Amino acid sequence: MVLDDEDFAEGTQKLTCPGEPITSSHAFMRGHGTYVDNEEVIASVAGTIERVNKLISVRAIRARYSPEVGDLVVGRITEVQPRRWKVDANSRQDAVLMLSSVNLPGGVQRRKLESDELQMRTFFEEGDLLVAEVQAFFADGVMSLHTRSLRYGKLRNGQLITVPPALIRRLKSHFITLPCGVDLILGLNGYIWVSKHLKQNEQEGEDAFDAEAVYSNRNDDIDDATRAAISRVSNIIRILGAHFVPLTDTLLLDAYEWAVEQEGGVKDLLNSDIGDALVSAVAARS
Amino acid sequence: MSSRIEILNDGGYRSDGRRQYELRSIDIDMSPQGTADGCAVVSHGLTQVQVCVFGPREARKRAETLHDRAVLNVEVGVLPFSAGERRRRGRADRRILELAASIKSTFEPVIQTSLYPRSQIDIFVSVLAQDGGLLQACINATSVALASAGIALGDLVCAVSGGVHGTFPLLDLSALEEGDLPNVTVAITPRSGKVTLVTLETRLHVDRFGEVFARACEAGRVIHTEMRRAVRARTSKLVDAMGAGTKGTGEEDVERDVLMSEINDF
Amino acid sequence: MASVSLSKAEKSFIQTSLQATPPLRADGRALLDYRTVLLETGVASQANGSAKLNVGKAPLEGGGGTEVLAATKLEVEDVENGDGLDGGRIVCAVTCSPSAYPHLSSNALDEVQYDLTMILHQTISHQTLHPKNLGILPKKKSWLLNLDVVVFADAGNVLDAIFMAARAALWDTKVPRTRAIQYQAKKAGSGTGSGDMDVDSGNEPGHGLSGFDTRDMARTAADFELPDYWDEGEVLDGRDRWPVCVTLNVLPSHHYLDATTPEEASTPLKLHLAFSFPTDQPCHLQALRLLGPGELQLPQLKTLIADGEKYAKELFTALESKLRDEDLRRNVKARDKFASR
Repeated sequence: MVLDDEDFAEGTQKLTCPGEPITSSHAFMRGHGTYVDNEEVIASVAGTIERVNKLISVRAIRARYSPEVGDLVVGRITEVQPRRWKVDANSRQDAVLMLSSVNLPGGVQRRKLESDELQMRTFFEEGDLLVAEVQAFFADGVMSLHTRSLRYGKLRNGQLITVPPALIRRLKSHFITLPCGVDLILGLNGYIWVSKHLKQNEQEGEDAFDAEAVYSNRNDDIDDATRAAISRVSNIIRILGAHFVPLTDTLLLDAYEWAVEQEGGVKDLLNSDIGDALVSAVAARS
Repeated sequence: MSSRIEILNDGGYRSDGRRQYELRSIDIDMSPQGTADGCAVVSHGLTQVQVCVFGPREARKRAETLHDRAVLNVEVGVLPFSAGERRRRGRADRRILELAASIKSTFEPVIQTSLYPRSQIDIFVSVLAQDGGLLQACINATSVALASAGIALGDLVCAVSGGVHGTFPLLDLSALEEGDLPNVTVAITPRSGKVTLVTLETRLHVDRFGEVFARACEAGRVIHTEMRRAVRARTSKLVDAMGAGTKGTGEEDVERDVLMSEINDF
Repeated sequence: MASVSLSKAEKSFIQTSLQATPPLRADGRALLDYRTVLLETGVASQANGSAKLNVGKAPLEGGGGTEVLAATKLEVEDVENGDGLDGGRIVCAVTCSPSAYPHLSSNALDEVQYDLTMILHQTISHQTLHPKNLGILPKKKSWLLNLDVVVFADAGNVLDAIFMAARAALWDTKVPRTRAIQYQAKKAGSGTGSGDMDVDSGNEPGHGLSGFDTRDMARTAADFELPDYWDEGEVLDGRDRWPVCVTLNVLPSHHYLDATTPEEASTPLKLHLAFSFPTDQPCHLQALRLLGPGELQLPQLKTLIADGEKYAKELFTALESKLRDEDLRRNVKARDKFASR
């Protein structure tokens, strides 16, 4: 299957699988998911062929998260090491969060002290969830995270849902607020945090950076309606993930509205018929 | 113990009704299982093997990582009731270790491990039912599972077993035939035609070997067609599912792919 | 069973939600709701009985769920010279595939396997549950029933799934019918040698009894045969007695069933109860295990056992109706296949 310019018409999705030749390597450069052998560009993963100008690449339909600088990810601390933490971000290797990349209590300009190194678990310990941004990469491809913004840091007041990373598209903002008082953080690595809505003014305030609050493990009081909403949203995300539907904020809003209109209980969403109906309804609206 | 059942009768039919070069029915199921990154259940007739792939992911033991490529870890488990006679095989059983080592050496040159330094790829093989052609089924299932996990492969590896009855080469042996005939398993990468694995368990004349080897290579391509079909069907199903929900994300893709760098130099 | 790390905030969220009024679980289920259970019998063609069970599998691409495969295999054992017991015996074993616990080392996996095996074996192989048709020739030959359970995936509540699958596999088990035989050498002087003729008579020579008298056959016979090679056999006795297990996850004020992995990590105190409901008899408690950090007062334990019995009865009834449906489905399928020829 040798392709040339005409085959890459707008909107067509060409599929391929490992070992299939795509085109001649004289005309095109190879990108991710391909390799060159014998003057041909050959696919190495199963997925869709993407072409940008003279660059051919294959995007795997289902793979581990492939990080890029500036991505927002939700991760879980797996290890505490000297001056840094290892974070599981559903990628090929665990990410690294350096002590110098987190906000230390007492103001963002505070210098790192020796005692901080000895008390790393007062900030993050094994099992903690956090939201961070990919700062850079090390030479071996390990990503380095930072939480140097007040929107980032330890997560609480909610629960984690996992979907395949391919379903999270790059959006303008990955912090979504739903009208029912539920906040969503869509990590590009497929980890989604569903929590009680935190008011904006409680977030900001650089002068009064309260370590107690930011690194606390204690949840706020959450009322029953919000808890139910969190469960409902979690079930919706699971359904969309199971039907392999990419997640965007508008889609989630539509889905939530539909679910509320149904007037069913939260657990009705676990029923596969209701799940199918949800996906068709949402697809129809878009 | 020679069986009284004819391996190949005068009409050219084998004990299960197949012809000399006929392969058993192949079934490839790629539905997701548990939390695995990739999964496949492949059946050749009554032989059924399930493979779950995890990775590439952070290696469990740092001492075993390689700085420039991924480490491949293959573990094979045979269910006690998979064969006619119940046998509980421990994880350190010699035949099982041999099987795992064969699978590992088959895939090591095929998986592009240099793309995943310091990580680990786990391949967990479960043999659900055995009726001959075990290595063949394991290799085919592993290929499909790796493809479904999105791990970069040079090609899909296709394996077929074969044997010789007198002077007649036979393909895709059942358990009955394997017990009686010298048998060989051949695994090829169809695009280049290269052979990544050849095993021979018993004695075979060199001429006979040449014949059955050539036939097996051809049969490998047939299996490749089936595997390609299954992988494409699944990819297409997922692509359709994604397309049903999206509103078009062309621009973002363009911006992303222009940044081309394999391992970001720092 | 396996340790999944959860943050303190997540655990506290789950705990407070469970203790709120009304209690709320992560996926909105009620405290006593089970996730969807998928059951299929007759999945392993080489086994005498088999069943595949999945609890909580998400549809389509979701995957997941706790998946368990159970199968039984019968072997003949010698009572006099071998390991056999008169009347047969049962041995259970649980294996965990590494794909169920991908973050555990093989040693840790062995430990999990061992724990599960112990609970299953000690409960199922107990003499009160022993089926009557596992003997072949009294004091000479008997059946060994091997029950093997494989855990392919664990998304919480693995022990309930194991017991359900074991019960289903035992329900599906057919014991081949045997007939006792004895080779009887012809009396000396009565003609040419036909000493290796298969004669269905058992009594000592010289008594003048008819060869059709087989009353004492089983007592003296030395061997057996399968009268019909293709017959699957009779159903294993004791179908109504095989136990079901309910796992109560215990909180200070109440309890809940069918926990997911995060829920198990947040409420580590668990009470496993295995009940047997033989027909026309009161129910029996076959096994009880309290696991995890924490303690229970005796009155609390009593109420939990009483509650557990109710839940187990519901589970038992639901499972039985599903098993009968499966039998029907397979018979219909077989009949259709036969009719379409």
